[in-house]
Order: sequence, then C-alpha cells, then structure tokens
Amino acid sequence: MNRPLTLVAVIVAAAVLGPLLLPWPYDVIDWGAVRGAPSLSHPLGTDSVGRDLLARTLVGTRVTLSVATAAALVALVIGVAWGAVAGWVGGKTDEVMMRVVDGLYALPFMFVVILLMVVFGRSILLVFLGIGAVEWLTMARVVRGQVIQLKQRPFIIAAEAAGAPPRAILIGHILPNVAGVATAYLLLTVPQVVMVESFLSFLGLGVQEPLTSLGILVKEGADDMDLSPLGLLVPGGILVTVLVCLTLAGEKLRDRFSA
Amino acid sequence: MSVYAVENLCVAIDGVSIVENISFTIAAGECVALVGESGSGKSLSCMTPFGLSPGVATGSVMLGGTELCGLDERALRPLRAAGVGFVFQQPLTALTPHLKVGAQLMEAAMQAGAPKPARRDFIAMLDRVGLPRAHEKLDQYPHQLSGGQRQRVMIAAATAHNPQLLIADEPTTALDASLRHEVMDLIDRLRAEQGLAVLLVSHDLATVRGHANRVVVMQHGLMVESGPADILLAQPQHKYTQALVAAVPLLDGPAPHLPAVGAPLLAASDMTVTFPRAGWRRGRFVAVDGATLTVAAGEALALVGESGSGKSTLGRAIARLGPCDVGSVTWMGEMLPERARMTRDHRRLIQPVFQDPVASLDPRWRVADIIAEPIKHLMPDMSKGERDARVAAALMDVELSLDMADRRPKALSGGQAQRVAIARALIAQPQMLLLDEATSALDVLVAAQIVALLQRLQRERGLAILAITHDLALARQLCHRIAVMDAGHIVEIGKAEDVITSPAHPVTQRLVMASRR
Repeated sequence: MNRPLTLVAVIVAAAVLGPLLLPWPYDVIDWGAVRGAPSLSHPLGTDSVGRDLLARTLVGTRVTLSVATAAALVALVIGVAWGAVAGWVGGKTDEVMMRVVDGLYALPFMFVVILLMVVFGRSILLVFLGIGAVEWLTMARVVRGQVIQLKQRPFIIAAEAAGAPPRAILIGHILPNVAGVATAYLLLTVPQVVMVESFLSFLGLGVQEPLTSLGILVKEGADDMDLSPLGLLVPGGILVTVLVCLTLAGEKLRDRFSA
Repeated sequence: MSVYAVENLCVAIDGVSIVENISFTIAAGECVALVGESGSGKSLSCMTPFGLSPGVATGSVMLGGTELCGLDERALRPLRAAGVGFVFQQPLTALTPHLKVGAQLMEAAMQAGAPKPARRDFIAMLDRVGLPRAHEKLDQYPHQLSGGQRQRVMIAAATAHNPQLLIADEPTTALDASLRHEVMDLIDRLRAEQGLAVLLVSHDLATVRGHANRVVVMQHGLMVESGPADILLAQPQHKYTQALVAAVPLLDGPAPHLPAVGAPLLAASDMTVTFPRAGWRRGRFVAVDGATLTVAAGEALALVGESGSGKSTLGRAIARLGPCDVGSVTWMGEMLPERARMTRDHRRLIQPVFQDPVASLDPRWRVADIIAEPIKHLMPDMSKGERDARVAAALMDVELSLDMADRRPKALSGGQAQRVAIARALIAQPQMLLLDEATSALDVLVAAQIVALLQRLQRERGLAILAITHDLALARQLCHRIAVMDAGHIVEIGKAEDVITSPAHPVTQRLVMASRR
C-alpha cells in the first residue's frame, strides 16, 4: 500500500465532506463565542470574529488543494506539450523553445506575482495564473529529456518504418511512455504549488475573505497564538503532512521511472 | 590445492530455489567457465556466495581456506576486499562515471587496507593490462575511453589488490570479435603471471573453447555436465551441451544452400552520412563516406565491420530510416525520396529488424497491436477482420502461438520478442529486410533458431536481405555476398566464400582471424 497517498486521500476526503457534517459553516459568525476556546460545538474553538475554526480549516485545505491541483494540471498540460514538441522537433526549434523556458526561469517569480497583485488587485485567478506560468517549466524540461531519449529507441524507428506519421508516433508511442514520469513530476508539482499559494496567502496576497486557505489560517493562527495554539498547529500540521506525503509519493514514483 | 572450491552450492531467492547442487574447484592459475543460456543461474552462482545478489547461498564455498556460506555481510566485506576481483559485462556502467581512471584504481588498490600507491604504481598497473600511454589515461574519465580500454581498466582495478580469484561475468560480450580475444588473452596472461584463479561466466562457446581449462555447463539452475574444456566441447555428452555446441555458427562448416538471385533490386550509390561533433568541437564527423552497394531480388548482402565502422548508419540511410547527407538510393531503377518524403508504397518495400528485441517493441503495446502497426498505416483500407487474420497468420509464420497476441513485450523472452519484431517487419509483405545485428543480443541457441527462421523466410518468400553484423560466420549462413566496412568506407565486397577464404583487406583478415579461433 502507498501510505503517503492514503494519508493525502484521507485529508482530501475530510476537506471535501467535513464541512457538510459540521453544524457551523465556515463564514458564519457565532456571536456567543468570539475567540472561543475548544468546545463541543466548536472542536477547535473560534477565530477572532467568532467563526468556527474546524470548518475554516477544512475549507482552507479544500481551497489550497484545489488551487494546487488545478495549477499543477495546467503546468502538466503546458509542460508536456511544450517539452514534447521541443524534444520531438529538435534542432533550432528546440533551442528557441528551451531558451524561452530558461528566460522564464530567470524571472524573480514572487516579485512578478506581487507586482501583478498590486496592479490588478487580489484575485484567485491571478494567483492561479502566476503559479501556473512558472510551474510548467520544470515539467517541460523533464518531458523534453524523456522525448529525446525515446526518439532514439528502435521501436520509434520501427514505427516510422511502419509508415506511422509523426503525429501518430507522438500520440501512440511517445506520450504514453512519457506519462509515467510526467505523473511523478505532477505529484511533485502539487506540493510546490501548495507552498507558493500558502506563502502568498500568508503575505495577504492570496484568496479573498471570507474564503480562506491554509496559508491565511496559519497567519491568523500565528497572530492569535497566545490565546489558542490550535489555530496555528492544526492548519500548519495539515500543510506539512500534505507537503511531505505528496513529495514522498512523487519521489518514489520518479525513482521508479528513472531507474 | 584449490583456490576456490564450490561444493553442492544451492541458491534460493525468497525461498524459491534457483540454483541447485553446483560443484567445481579452481586451482591457482586455472580458468573455469560457467556456460549456459541466460537465466540458467550462471551469474547468481558466482555472485551469491559473496553476498552480491538478492539470493541466499547454502552448501559449501571455500575461498583460500575460508568458508563463505553462512557469513553475514560484515564478515564477507573484508573477504571481498582482499580475496576476489570482479569484472562485469558492461565496462561503462561498471566503472564509476565521475571518477578518473587513476581514482578508480586508487579505490581498488586501497580497498584491502594497502597504503596509498604512488602514481608510478598506477602506471605500472595500466602497463600490466596493456593500456598504451598509461600516464595520460590516468587523468581520463571512463567515457573518454573505448570499450576495450574500459574493460582493461576494469581488469586493472579488479586485480589491483592482488586477489586470489578473478570473477569475470561475461567480460567480452559487449566487445567486438577482435577485442574479445585481446581481453581474453590479457586475462590468460594475468593467470600465468600471477597465478590468478579465474571464474569465467560466458555464453560464448568460442571464447570458452580457447581460454578455459574446464567447463561447467548449466541449464535451468542445474549442472548438466562438467569436464576439461577441449574434451567436453569436442565430444559433449549431454543433449543440452550438444545443442549448444551445434548452435555455434562455424566459418568452416559446409556451405549453406541459399536461394537463387534475381534481377537487380536496390542500388545505393555514393552514400555519405555525417553527424555534428559532440560538444563545442567544430566540423562534422563522417560516419559513412561515399559507400556504394547493390542488392538483387532474393539476394542477401551482409554488411560486416567492427563497431563504429558505420555499417548501421549506412543500413538506416539506405532504408531511409536515418539521416543521409549525399547519395541516392534507387529501387528497380526508380529513385527513393528522402526520409521525410517516403510514402506508404515506399515504406512497404523495406522493413527493419533491430538488435535489441525488447527495445524495439513499445513496452505499452500489446503484441497484436505491435504486429498490426505496419498494416494499420501502410494498408489503411484493410478491414478489422482481415487485419486480425493477418496478425494471426503472421504469428504462426514466426512460430509463435496465438495466445501471445494479448501479451505485452515485458512478458516475452528475448527470442519471442525478436520473433514478434520479425512478424511486424513481414506483415506488410516487404521485398527486402534490413537486419541490424538481429541475432547478436540473443543466446546461442535462440540465435540459431532465429537464423533458421530467417533462412526459411528467405527461401519461401524470396526476400532480399541487407544484414548488418559483426559476425562473419553468421553472415556466411545467410548471405550470398559480404561487404566489409571500415571507418565509413566499404573496403571489400565479394562472394561470401571468397571474402572468407581469401580476405584482401587487413580489416577483413582481422575479422576472419577473430571468427576462426
């Protein structure tokens, strides 16, 4: 059994189903329990304006993970397409395409995102675009390397001899054989995006109130640390668990395919 | 007094018995060869007593008076460090890529606790294994050496600490025929000079015949026969050994019966292929330089040469499966277009079969889909039912059972995979096959079966063949004519018998010598 992935699955299930089962929604204020200590109706207590912390943590996890998954998928699509084309066509095209990747790598990404936020205002779409624009770069490099390696394999030449047009070779032979490695790097991309999103939210540049994310929760928890450490420890713990588990699973997969 | 004595050695992996009751002894200066097809447990029998395989060894293995069986890793390590050296098949992967030759030797020499050797000593080590310009080689990385040089470094490292026993696991399989003998001669010399005991693992009977004192033949993890090399290989008693000996193609055997040759089919003239040089070096490397050849209908032409002579590059350029700078290929008087412009009708003419049977099949496809790929693209009008029937017929034609159709390449043996590759090449009914070392990655017995299959197809279908190989004996079994390549040029071309009996060019003479021993 893949233990890290099981743990992630449990967290995802809790984040999706949990809020439905709780008496308090994440954005409703309980006027009777502002900055409340843990109790039966609020297992983790409430925040500084009286919202249920457990509900907020679960929703925050949900937001963080969905932003991460979506951004990672965008990275997967762009990265695989870019890398596969560069690796397959080769020559000058490859040079130009990979120099574009190098150029984007060189941008101080956090600075660019902050600048965008300042100019266009806070929006989840921008967070998403900013992260997606950077995370596909590694994927493109990895996929390009794989494609170049595969291109020289005899079965690709045999496919050419069999009259398969380049598009059929790319779709029929190359992409299925790249899929494993790409999945591994997808799993490694998700925790990176989680990190970036949490960091932006911690700085106050992430999602808008009353919606929340793990980064915002950690920040608020840190502010109220003296009252209740749970507000910091629980979202922080979930964040760390997700990061470690996804990285472990991803590295395991990557090692299997690079062996 | 024997240096290494194995008695009733059994090896089990996860409780499953793989090797049973192997017994042999090696005296100082002696060479014992373990022979058998891949998967017969040869390597396991060598490595397991030293704790270098996942298996567990039981029985008795004595190295210079010390019992190895039952020792744990901690007790084995000093024994390995002092008493034994290992040489493996792939010298490039067996040498640490980021260490210079000198550093590799240092590590090897000091593993038994010897003091740090001086640069002079390293040079002496390399001189001993016959590596020229040793002082330069010490500062080079493994990838800067040729295959033969790497194997010499490997042997120098394996014997740097003066072990009693050298275990050589297929030390020459990855090398050219002529290099093979040089490396084996070197091992022979070390045996004579230092009284080194050698345990040689090989499936190449020609190597064993010339260099081993005694032979142990293994099949399915059992010892089927053992005895002095010259007697055993001359008069094998066991059926399996007889089959092995018979399967080795000979240069001097009776002339094979080859089908008649028809009208000229293919003519390649002035073929030149260049590649950009690696790294920052300017200019281009000329792999094939103005090669010209013809093949007639039903004729088989062998393209023979040492590795790096450009024979594969030329073959691919002719089949329009590789780059080609200059030169034209005509098919029955009509020009073949360049690689990217080949139409379906052109592709149907020539089909390839490659060396590594597993790498030439897409690991994710089913056998039936792999075989059907050419008809899917080259005969797109064919109905699904007819296509399936064709695939079934193709499987039968290469003597595979129909239930193979649903398997993936991973579940095939090397011989089966090569049959699938041949079925794929034949299904679109080409008029010519390009065989790129099609049998050299296979075991002797399996290779003989594949050659027999190719001979049958050649007879039945009147196929023209362009066979790329480094093995003259194989070329003679299949081909009417032989073209010899060296450094991108065709240096000699003629009837197979003539080229073998009276080789004119030095390269041909060297190849003939190497195959004759």
